Amino acid sequence: MQTFEAHREHAMPLMEAADLQDSLLSAANDLERLQTLLSDACATLLAGFCSASEQLRQLRPSAGGNAPPAVTLALNNLDGAAVALQFQDMAQQLIAHTQRRLRHCTDRLAIDAFSSEDDGDAVLEAAPLRPNPVVQDQMDAGAIDLF
Amino acid sequence: MHSILAVDDSASMRQMVSFTLKNAGFNVVEAVDGQDAFEKAGKHDFDLVLTDQNMPRVDGIELTKKLRSSPKFKTTPILILTTESSDQMKQAGRAAGATGWLVKPFDPAKLIEVIRKVVR
Repeated sequence: MQTFEAHREHAMPLMEAADLQDSLLSAANDLERLQTLLSDACATLLAGFCSASEQLRQLRPSAGGNAPPAVTLALNNLDGAAVALQFQDMAQQLIAHTQRRLRHCTDRLAIDAFSSEDDGDAVLEAAPLRPNPVVQDQMDAGAIDLF
Repeated sequence: MHSILAVDDSASMRQMVSFTLKNAGFNVVEAVDGQDAFEKAGKHDFDLVLTDQNMPRVDGIELTKKLRSSPKFKTTPILILTTESSDQMKQAGRAAGATGWLVKPFDPAKLIEVIRKVVR
């Protein structure tokens, strides 16, 4: 078994480890800010989307008859936008997964580079157990399977 | 009017699902996760449950198992709407008793078509 001193000999120099840890923390903080920005923007987009859809639907004749072509076209365009507006859910899951990975790396680095034998058991953020649940790389509507 | 329980921990997804279903003439009750959904399912009757998979407390597959163990939801259609698209997860959903597996993002017209197909 490797002794603590032998392990420290092969460990990353402390200054380099500190810089790397700063970079990882900074990336995690940026992702958190990105998540807030996305959430705020999406709430506004959704409110505008729902309100515009509602107003357009009220322009349709209540019984029989066809809606003016411009209204039908606008409603079709909004249906297309409804798929794209679901990006926030995917983006949030991707960001949360990446943040867990970054925190795990930061904690791991702190334990390997900075801890001493006397520190006892350090707290380590667990790495995500499963691969990222979001595998989509474009905003096309997903598959449907009925069992 | 058919009543649907829409379950998702993402507020934006709940809003989008709810908006789509209400526009198609369904009555919608929202739940923020599987636990909230299970509690609401005990208090109201639903013709269909549309649930996300990855949620805190109780996930979609666990919710499906819990609902299927209740006589009230033995035959109620349960659709899982999720970003997860692996065969392994789909099979787990099927084994839990889900009626179908829909991968996000959903197309509003196709979602309504599927719901009308499975709802009684």
